[in-house]
Amino acid sequence: MPLIESEVKQGEATRHGNLELIPVNQVFRIQSAGKHVGFIWNRPKAIVVRDEDGQEQVLPVTDVTRIAIWAMLAGGILGAILIGLLYRHQ
Amino acid sequence: MSDEIALDQLKESGLDVFQDTVDEFLAAADVGVVYGEPIKHEDTLIIPTAEVLCVMGFGLGSGSGTDTSKSPESPSSGSGSGGGGGGRILSRPVAVVVSSPEGVRVEPVIDLTKLALAGLTALGFMVGMMFRMSSRRHSLPGLED
Repeated sequence: MPLIESEVKQGEATRHGNLELIPVNQVFRIQSAGKHVGFIWNRPKAIVVRDEDGQEQVLPVTDVTRIAIWAMLAGGILGAILIGLLYRHQ
Repeated sequence: MSDEIALDQLKESGLDVFQDTVDEFLAAADVGVVYGEPIKHEDTLIIPTAEVLCVMGFGLGSGSGTDTSKSPESPSSGSGSGGGGGGRILSRPVAVVVSSPEGVRVEPVIDLTKLALAGLTALGFMVGMMFRMSSRRHSLPGLED
């Protein structure tokens, strides 16, 4: 039975001035039962900024390149389907 | 007997290599892998971030056998083992965390080369479909034909 799991981890805080920056990442892991085959996708998820009063602010880390690539590919496929439909109706 | 000992030693050394590889693979899931060392410049602190993709495959095998076909009285025996594996780690910068006296912000890193390639691929889909549909229409016979 392959192990498929996704977990969110927090790293060590970095202090800068009166702020504490805590890195958060998300790991998606697939591993075969005998651990012979594995896949890990590790990506930054957010930065938690904690001030000296203890107030926390979460800044998400957005992967603009990945979003744009998927949007373009989806647009290309949708465009091709639309062109096909338009030609068929003419 | 000595063949069996040698085979066991080979298996153990193979398993050690296997364990080291699995440990290295699992280390790719650590937080420190995606967040780089903070860089301090005057009042500003910069933390680079990257996404990491890691794929690994590994296999080990061993076997032994006895040959009695040539001389049934004194059979010859042999053993062997082997292993192989492969993997790949891909890393790509995602964003930069900038902490300055004005505040903390996340600046995205945009890979223009990848965007251009994706754009060309998307355009290729649409142009390809246009050519395909127009060539199909021209090849169809008219009603008056």
